[in-house]
Parts: sequence; C-alpha cells; structure tokens
Amino acid sequence: MTLNRNALDAARGMDRVNLAKRAARFDWIRRASVAMGAIALFLVFSALTPTFYQPGNLVDIMLQSSINAVIAVGMTLVVMTKGIDLSVGSIVGVSSMVAASLLHTNLWLGVGVGLAVGLACGLVNGVLIAKLKLPDFIVTLGSMSIYRGFALIYTDGKPIYGIDKTFRSTFAGTVFGAPTPVLIALAIALAAFLLVRFTTLGEQIVAVGGNEEAARLSGVDVDRVKISVYAISGVLSAVAGFILVARIGAAEPIGGNGFELQAIGAAVIGGASLFGGEGNPLGSLIGALTLGGMRNGLTLLNVPSFWQYVATGVVVILAVLADQVTRKRR
Amino acid sequence: MTAALETDEAPALRFIGVAKAFAGVQALADVDFEVRGGEVHALLGENGAGKSTLMKILFGVFKHDRGDIVIGGQKNAAVADPRDALSKGIGLVAQEPAVVPQLDVAQNIFLGQRPALSYANRRQQRAAARVLLDPFAPALKETAKVGDLGMADRQIVEIARSLARGGRIIAFDEPTSSLTPAERDGLFEIIRGLKRAGKAIIYISHRMAEIQTIADRVTVLRDGRVVASGKTSDFTPDELNNLIAGRTLAQELARGASPPGDAARDEALRVEALSNARLQEVNLTLRRGEIFGLAGLVGSGRTELVRCIFGADARTNGLIFVDGKSVDVNSPRAAMQAGIALIPEDRRGQSLVQVMTVEQNFALASPGAFSWRGIIRGRARRKEIERYIEELGIRPPRPDVLVRDLSGGNQQKVVIARWLHTGARVFLFDEPTRGIDVGAKSEIHDLLRRLAARGAAVLVISSELPELLALADRIGVMRDGRLVQEIADPSGLTEDRLMRMASGELTS
Repeated sequence: MTLNRNALDAARGMDRVNLAKRAARFDWIRRASVAMGAIALFLVFSALTPTFYQPGNLVDIMLQSSINAVIAVGMTLVVMTKGIDLSVGSIVGVSSMVAASLLHTNLWLGVGVGLAVGLACGLVNGVLIAKLKLPDFIVTLGSMSIYRGFALIYTDGKPIYGIDKTFRSTFAGTVFGAPTPVLIALAIALAAFLLVRFTTLGEQIVAVGGNEEAARLSGVDVDRVKISVYAISGVLSAVAGFILVARIGAAEPIGGNGFELQAIGAAVIGGASLFGGEGNPLGSLIGALTLGGMRNGLTLLNVPSFWQYVATGVVVILAVLADQVTRKRR
Repeated sequence: MTAALETDEAPALRFIGVAKAFAGVQALADVDFEVRGGEVHALLGENGAGKSTLMKILFGVFKHDRGDIVIGGQKNAAVADPRDALSKGIGLVAQEPAVVPQLDVAQNIFLGQRPALSYANRRQQRAAARVLLDPFAPALKETAKVGDLGMADRQIVEIARSLARGGRIIAFDEPTSSLTPAERDGLFEIIRGLKRAGKAIIYISHRMAEIQTIADRVTVLRDGRVVASGKTSDFTPDELNNLIAGRTLAQELARGASPPGDAARDEALRVEALSNARLQEVNLTLRRGEIFGLAGLVGSGRTELVRCIFGADARTNGLIFVDGKSVDVNSPRAAMQAGIALIPEDRRGQSLVQVMTVEQNFALASPGAFSWRGIIRGRARRKEIERYIEELGIRPPRPDVLVRDLSGGNQQKVVIARWLHTGARVFLFDEPTRGIDVGAKSEIHDLLRRLAARGAAVLVISSELPELLALADRIGVMRDGRLVQEIADPSGLTEDRLMRMASGELTS
C-alpha cells in the first residue's frame, strides 16, 4: 500500500519533471531568442546597408557597445536582486572626472581614486536601500542627481582635457590587435557569470531576487547581498567611465548621461527579469551588442539621431513586455 | 417526492464535469456540483482537495479546462473576472474580507458600483446601505469606518456588497476561522436569513460541528474529485471525516502522539515574558523529544509568536533561552546560529525560492558548509542533498529540478532537509501540512514524530484539531497575543472545547 503510494507519487513527480523539462526547453527558446533577435537585427541591417557587416564596422559596434556592456553587467546583478540602479550614468560622470583630475599626478592614483569614488557611490546607494529600506527607484533617482551635481561642482562644469597617454592606451588601446574596451567588457562579463554560477554570493543574489523573505528566513544576510550588488554596479560604472574618457580623450562632467536606460535595456534584452531572480551577465553582453548594433545601423541608414532615442525606448519596453508575457505562462 | 423536487427546480449554479490542471497536476477532475436557491451547500475537503480551485473558477480567477458552468439556467456562463462575478450575482465572503478600512460601511458596500466620475451622493448612499443592512444586521451602523470594525462586521459588509448587486449566490470561505463562537452564531443567523430569502449559499469549512448545524447538503472533494454528495443528514460526522481524509481517521489518531512522560526530558527552549506589538508576555517551555501543539483562532498571535522567537519580528521585551542559556535572537541569522528553525506556513512566499533548484534551496541556510572562500563545493553539496532526498523520500529524487515543480509535500520536505542540515534542535512549524495532499500529510506527520524521537523540540501550529491531537504531547492555546491555556494531556479534548478556549468563553 505504502509502496503503491510511493510509486504513484514518483510517477506524479516524474510527470512534473517532464513538464519541467518542457518548460526548461521553453526557457531555452526564450534565451535563444535573445541571440536570434541579435542575428535577425544583424541580417536586416546587413541587407539594408552593406557597410554594416564590414569587419571594421563590426569592431566599431563592439567598441561602441563595450562601455554599456560593462555597466550592464553591474545592472544585471542589481536587477537580479529585484533592484534597479538609475545612478550609473552619474557615477560614470563623477568617477571619471575625479580620476581624470588626478591622472597627471599619478596614473594609478587616478585609477584607484576613480574606482574608490565609484565604490563609495554604490555603497551609499546600497546602504540607503538595504539598511534604511528606502525604495531603490527613489534612492538611485535621487543619487543620480546628487552624483551628477558633484561631477559638475568638481570643476565648475568644465571638462578636463589632456588625458594621460598610458591611461588612454590602457583603456582604449589594443592588445595583439584586439581593442582593450572589448576585452575588458568580456573579462568582466565572464567574471560576473562565474560569480553568479559558482559562488555563494551569486546564489544568494538569485535567492534575494527570487524571494527576499525566504532568503531572510533562511538566514541569508539580505542587506549584505544588496549592498554588494550596488557596490559592484558603482565600481563597474567607474570602469566604464575610464573607457569613455580614454576613448574621447577628455573627461566631461555630463559624461554618461542617459546610460541607465541603455544598461537596463541590455540587461533585460539579455534575459534579466525586472521581477528578480533571473539574469545572465553573458546575456547582457549580447544585449549591449544588440542595442549598440541597432544604433550603429540606424546611423548608417542616416536615421536622425533623435529617432534613435525613440528606437531604444521602444526596444527596451518590448524586451520587458516579452519577459512579462513569458512569465505569465508559467 | 424529493426526486421530483430536485428535477423541477433549476439550480442557481451548476458545475458539470469541470476539470482543471496546473502544470500537469489535476487539481479538479470531472467535478459535478450544484447549489439551489434557498439551500446551504457545504463544500468539504482537506487543504489541496480542490475547494479553492473550484471557487476561483467560480470567480473567474482561473479558467477551467473542460466542463460547463450553468448559472441561473444559462449555459456556458463562465465568469471572466471577479468584477464579472459580482455583476452575475455571485458574491464571496472570504476568511479575511476584502474591504477598504479607510472607507465607511456604506462606501464599502457600493464601492466600484458607480461610474468613476459620477457624483457620490453620500446621503442617498447611506440610506440605500441602511435598507440593505436592516433585514439582517440592524445593529451595524452604515456610517462606521470599516477599519474600526471586527472581522464579523467586515463579513457583513461583504455580504451586503454582494446583495447590493443583486447577489443570488454567496460563497463563504471558512468564514468562522477568525470568529468567536458568539460571532459565529450571529453569522449563522444571517446565513439562515439569506437562505429564507432564496439565496444559494456555498459554505466551505472543515469544522464538522458547523456543517451539521448549518448545511442542508454536502459535497466532499478529495484529490480534485467529488467522492460524496448528498443531504447532510445522510452522513454521520465520522463518515464525513473519513470521506474527507480518504482513510480511517481513527487509525491515524490511534497511532497518536509519542508516549508522554519519558522521565525528565530536558528543556530545549524557554521564552519568558516575550512581548511585541502583537504578543503579550508569553511564557513557554519546549522540551527535547516532545511535540507541542499551538492552537488558536486566526489572528490570535500564533504565527507572531514563532516569528518573534525566530527573530523574524522584533520583540520589545522578554528573554529567550536555548538549552538553558540566554540567547539574543534579534535576526533569523541569530536564531539559526542558536539552533532554532522556523518552517513558515507560506512555503511559496516565505520558505522557498521558486526559481532555484532543490539543491540550491536546500543549501540556502548553510552556505558556509558547502563552500570554500565563497566558491561553492558542488560535489560535496550534491552528495549531502542526495542523502536527504533518500532519507526523507523527496520525489522526484533529483537535486537539480526547480523546487516549483515539486508537490507541496515534497517542497515541505526540502525545507525540513534545509533545517535538519543546519543542526537545528528546536523546530517551529507553522501549519506544516497546509496545502499538502492527504498521502503526503501523514508522511509529514511521521517526519515530525521522527524529529521529536531524535531529541528535537518541535512546536506545531495547526488550525486542524485532529492534526494537533494526532501529533501533540501538550497543547497550548493562544488568544489576543497571550498563551492562555496549556493542556498537559490533550487526549480528552474536543474541537468545541478548544474553540471555546480559543475564543475566551472557557477559561479552564
């Protein structure tokens, strides 16, 4: 009798597993659709303008996307905890200004302090959100304004020119013919992937985003996890700021303006769910390439840049919609 | 004669062969169910038997896969959403009524009835509310703020709300679980009044005494199927209990609690004068090897007590001792380190991360045990969860499936495995078998007994007295945030006595 019930239960269980497999395949399709979307976009633009698929232009796309990719990796971790960081663009601005001002004293001092500024900005966000339980959206919307203000105050709104050559070749040079921004973005995305996949912190990020209360009642230090992701997001924004400064050869206080939407877009296109618990830093890399490719293609097609704002917003909203719809099916 | 009557009068509501599956689990299979005007029809079944799925289909929350719903003679009358349900004359009185506490009674009754921008004539509205309330609740003031009202009056507001829309079918979902016996009798009077007015009443409860008092007919659901249906008077309470459980309850009860009185069992947990916003000076001692049952009405502070002991809610006063030593439990982490485990009632909301695997959920509370400098030691972890899967009989026996694809009983086992591995010695279970099907239920019961036999101190909150009687060595009763009774030998306890203790009518 007991045996029978066990057998029945096992059969029911296996039934569920089969369904789960089907669901997993569905998930896989969902994930593959990111790559397929990217490929479709590539094909469409290639058909419309042959310049698009020239190797030189493809490298350009990767270069243009690398800054967003670096920020998007941090954003992905934040989004995975069901949070959001709107201040990334302002952190790019303030940390790159501080770094640029110190470069002529000592290159590594500039880099070190720049990273520290990014870290500090992220920590402030994280502490306000985790410890004081303020809504992430409001905290980072406010700090977006505060950090931008600091970037402008720092030099009274003036840009800093004459960026150190070594700095430029480090963050916007080439290594064996490969552009360093692309390598940096790749390395960061890979590191974040390993963090999510193979570390306790990574698992706790998923747990906090998937079910914060369950994580808390399982003894997970939820506050620490949240502070960590905002700190990482801050540091990565600083790194993105370095690439930006190195590429254009000047640091501008308004640098990084509007980067938050690009980063959120890349994360969501890459499979991160704004409902928390899901996301993949490598996917966000593809997300950043997709957005970068779209802007590049539109530029090649002589679409006025004002329309690119519209296109970016539409794509981001569509990506969130896709997440919402596929989520409902489960 | 009765047969003729049954065919003559068209039922107010009829489910014909209704079926519904979720992710491959048949929640309802071929359910026939009907309610006629002027009758109270009780819907019985354990948690997970399909009662709430049936009700959710009635209110348009879910769409049924097969079958037909006939409402007032109209076929295929499936309800689109809860708004549509109200307009079709179907009302629901839930365990915790959906009312807006900031608005007054009249406003709540007519909420959502008028176009958004129309002029709300307060006086007219209040007069209309008065007319509605007078026949069955003359004492309730239409101007009272709903936030100031008790549960019973809030239920009245909900009843009035569905009557205001010409409600013909009213479903009551465990309406008495938060009512005192006096309030319950008042509600029964109201229900009888509605019955006389020709309304069709669906009454969901698992309190047998209430069913005998109020219901004209009963339908018993088990595992999504109708196992019995007929006049209440055709069944004895025992027969109904057995139909609901699908086994002879006496057998389960006979197995009983672990033998009491093993000389001088050591104290494992002691709380003294534990207080916070919802608790008042609770004193409680749990001993190793015993199962302590905690009874009380919904809202009496049972959940708040275990959450406070576990550090999930703050305490304003009181001391907690584990193994005789005072511990400062100010967070779940601290409680965990002190050897306390909390298994909350809401598995989905508070225990498990649905998007993670069995293995990951298992490891959540003991990250240090399976990692080296923050990097997960996958193989060691896999081995450990496999041991627990084997020992607790978790099915399917696979660590890598998402926990959301497991049945309720197996999910609960994953949670228990998690806490076993932390080395907890005090287990606080909040409604451990809610939403778990019958077979798995007794497995969970066995597990709790095994935990106690191994020397753990186990506290179980349950709203089902048979469950408490089957498990507990001692039973405590909570009321208004206090532990008001401790019953050292619960074997002679009846549901009615316990209810009276829980509501304060009986003090010894």
